[in-house]
Amino acid sequence: MCTFQPPTARLCCRRVSHALFSGEEELTVHDETTCYLTQSCKTYLVYVRKVIFYQYFSSCISSPHSQFRPRFIGNFVKMPVLCSSCTEKRAVLKRPKTGHSLCKGCFFWAFEEEVHQTIVAAKLFKPGEIVGIAASGGKDSTVLAHVMKLLNERYNYGLELMLLSVDEGITGYRDDSLETVKRNQQQYELPLKIVSYEELYGWTMDAIVKQVGLKNNCTFCGVFRRQALDRGAIMLKVDKICTGHNADDVAETVLMNVLRGDIARLRRCTAISTASEGEGVVPRCKPLKYAYEKEIVLYAYFKKLDYFSTECIYSPNAYRGYARTFLKDLESVRPSSIIDIIHSGENLSVREGVKMPVQGTCNRCGYISSQALCKSCVLLEGLNRGLPKLGIGKHHRLHDKILSQQPLTEKEERKLKSVDF
Amino acid sequence: MAAPVAIHLEFGGGAELLFNGVKEHHVTLPSQSEPWDMKQLLVWIQRNLLKERPELFVQGDSVRPGILVLINDADWELMGELDYQLQDQDNVVFISTLHGG
Amino acid sequence: MCQVDEDYHDGLERAEVPSVSKKCVKCKEASAAVVIRAGDTYCRGCFKEYFIHKFRAMLGKNRIIFPGEKVLLAVSGGSSSSSMLSQVQEGLSQNAHKKLRFLPGIVYIDEGGAVGQSVEERRRTVAELQAVFKATGFPFHMVPLEQVLDLPSSVVVTAPAASEQPASAYKAAVDHFIQSDSSSCSTPQDHEQTSVPEVQESHTQLLQQLVGSAQTLTARQDLLNTLRHHLLVHTARTEGYSKLMLGDNCTRVAVKLLTSISLGRGAQLAQDTGFSDSRYGDIILVRPMRDYSAKEIAYYNHMFRVPSVFIPGGDTKTTDKASIQRLTESFVTKLQADFPSTVSTIYRTSEKLQTACRKSSTADQADRCLLCMCALDTAVENASAFQATLTSEQLSQNKPSGATGTETLRPNPAPVEQESTAPSGQCCSSGGEDCGRAERGGGGCCSSAKEPERTDLKSLLCYSCQLTIKDMSSLERLPQYILSEAQRRQRRSQMREEISEFLLDDGDEGS
Repeated sequence: MCTFQPPTARLCCRRVSHALFSGEEELTVHDETTCYLTQSCKTYLVYVRKVIFYQYFSSCISSPHSQFRPRFIGNFVKMPVLCSSCTEKRAVLKRPKTGHSLCKGCFFWAFEEEVHQTIVAAKLFKPGEIVGIAASGGKDSTVLAHVMKLLNERYNYGLELMLLSVDEGITGYRDDSLETVKRNQQQYELPLKIVSYEELYGWTMDAIVKQVGLKNNCTFCGVFRRQALDRGAIMLKVDKICTGHNADDVAETVLMNVLRGDIARLRRCTAISTASEGEGVVPRCKPLKYAYEKEIVLYAYFKKLDYFSTECIYSPNAYRGYARTFLKDLESVRPSSIIDIIHSGENLSVREGVKMPVQGTCNRCGYISSQALCKSCVLLEGLNRGLPKLGIGKHHRLHDKILSQQPLTEKEERKLKSVDF
Repeated sequence: MAAPVAIHLEFGGGAELLFNGVKEHHVTLPSQSEPWDMKQLLVWIQRNLLKERPELFVQGDSVRPGILVLINDADWELMGELDYQLQDQDNVVFISTLHGG
Repeated sequence: MCQVDEDYHDGLERAEVPSVSKKCVKCKEASAAVVIRAGDTYCRGCFKEYFIHKFRAMLGKNRIIFPGEKVLLAVSGGSSSSSMLSQVQEGLSQNAHKKLRFLPGIVYIDEGGAVGQSVEERRRTVAELQAVFKATGFPFHMVPLEQVLDLPSSVVVTAPAASEQPASAYKAAVDHFIQSDSSSCSTPQDHEQTSVPEVQESHTQLLQQLVGSAQTLTARQDLLNTLRHHLLVHTARTEGYSKLMLGDNCTRVAVKLLTSISLGRGAQLAQDTGFSDSRYGDIILVRPMRDYSAKEIAYYNHMFRVPSVFIPGGDTKTTDKASIQRLTESFVTKLQADFPSTVSTIYRTSEKLQTACRKSSTADQADRCLLCMCALDTAVENASAFQATLTSEQLSQNKPSGATGTETLRPNPAPVEQESTAPSGQCCSSGGEDCGRAERGGGGCCSSAKEPERTDLKSLLCYSCQLTIKDMSSLERLPQYILSEAQRRQRRSQMREEISEFLLDDGDEGS
């Protein structure tokens, strides 16, 4: 359970946790957290315990009596760590980004203020703009919707906010989370638009998985979602879309692009907003780019926000899983790692003369694409022809054939048919 | 019953630190019903030679990633890795390529 | 009686056993002995040829080392740097196919003092390596890390680079070298024996205190790395070398790249991992081994008996999560085991990064990090990770700025709670070393006398070195050359501020 470096810490760890768990009123923080943890994720339990234990440990070793006597545990229980901002109330969390301990009120203030600073500093919005909030019903987008509405009122951004959801058609996952979005619509009194894969592409994710299996379904889902959001945004005449990508997501993407050697994406992925790329593409931004996932979860929890917290039932991208685990490990060694990685990403300099793909438009649907056909059209073509492998891997030379509706050779078809790739 | 197998083991690149700093070992694997393979050898090493931190040498049923294996001066990937059947007088080398050894 | 027979028999049998199933991809005759990358199998002979060729190809392609130039090889005793040494030896030998034409020397930094080795242990290691170095016939320098305490401040000042040599100059220099008497360098001169300097115990203690003041292994490794570089560069300068060869292999470069990213060193990636690194100006760091995988090197060293000495370091036998450096290494090696192209892909990413130092020659000293000597990446830009961290720090501290809005959010504090301010103060008053660590960056805590010094030093450091300093309990233990250079830079920037209004041509301050 305890991941602390000093061996002495590990020795007294059990005693401390025992004291923590068996104490009386001081354990409210802990109990709350434990309850909430059971519904979401074990790592946060470890985290909160670590915070509490850390504070205890630091007060112990800096005291002149360095033995871990019971009365010190008593001391600790009587003397909670105070908020480093107001220095009055008891702290409820330790901020991973800076190591400060904050009480609930100061945490809310700091969290919201930071998002505000990000929005102001990066000039994300202009007064009078219509902004679509990409809402999935998950923690990130729920917190985003909540904070956007709150800041829009507090600082008179003058924005017209809307919720924008994509229904991928995943039974038992998206239909449930969309219920959450619909409740959010009521709670925040914001208009909501749902665009579904089925109406846009004629395929639900359930149907796609039936054809392609579980290995590459995330490729389909990701590519389709990007376009779906744009189409929804155009229907709503939205000027900008903001997404719930948090600091962890951005850091993870930096790592992924290094591991994939994708220098073009590596350079782009830390940008807080995308410029208008052309027809049919709405600019996007990430107001939560510098907010740690942990703080987002704690914010949602302490604010008692209504969010949906189940992983997608179709297995997530395995390779990304490696990056994710690595990032979590890094965070446990040095909590600032996540923001440090983003800093790295923002300061990378790419060598001149390294080839970057040229953006053009798709000959079929007019969406931006670096190839003759956009990824989405290729994937769709593959699905409709029963050749799911068409969009996976590089088959650029086949694009012309597809465009001119020429038949593929038998050999080509056979290669693209097999499902177990 | 297969006869006992006498083999020569060598640890290098820092892997020897897990074996009290001893680099070379001449050992005889006792006779057993099936022939000795690399998989069984790793288990045997772990039980009989390894002095500390087994997780820094074996992981799962193979060697920890980053530790290279040579069987009779050839890459064990050419020899069937874990399935290689040990012969009498074989020479097996383990080299760590990890920074801290 | 039968034993002799048996042995003989065995030898025969073993020769017949078709132990190696595949043939070499190069000569297609001999049995393969090594598998490198995706299924490329080489026999012993072809592997050796390929390995040797790669080293010379690397140096030939980059054209950075000129004939007759003095080049210092940093040898740690580990497999990569030992292999580098053997390649240089091989390349300089009379019968070499494409002869190398520079003048090598060896430097070994004895870090035993920093990682708590006994004097005997250190002596033994040094003696072992000395024997290896002597056998090469190259001049060598055995430098204890303790010497870092006596470095001059000039080490952390970028020296003007030697005049830029156009690419054509390389060819001319080679031709010139061949015409002139080239035999003089190839015969190993009788070099005077460099004796190992005695290390005072008090120095070792000081070094240990310095290293020990870094309270996380991550920071300790980073600090050691910086100190080692300073000492290497200093040795090269005082001994008249202009290039410093480091033994980083491809696997290390991949690990280093990912580590650097995780440590916030994105801006310095190219220098940290590229073929050449010119951050010190006059001394160019070169990484000729970066094309070899750790596996290739380990196999080559084993097969061709390249001597190497394993020296345990601060991270030996530690767990994967002991430091960011260790964690990254284990992550990369594990991923490599599952996806064999991992290392080469990351390595290729490093090739696509900017290698030239931003405004390398003209950069003002003040624009460079005091520790790692890279261009500062801490200019506060709007909407950056650095800015966001500063905002978070401000908002999390006891500052009136946040108070106005906070009032509405939180109820008035009960007066009783006022009393409990004491314990947080207590944490500090006892001056616990770990206080700074537990309350990392904490504003309320540790506001003792050393705090201003820390903030001052911070402004002279890059983002990542600031993180390292944050993990240190005290900065007083930093070597004098760093502290005095810090003071000098501070005085200079103060002066600049004072005279700024009189300066006519100053874009930075004018706006």
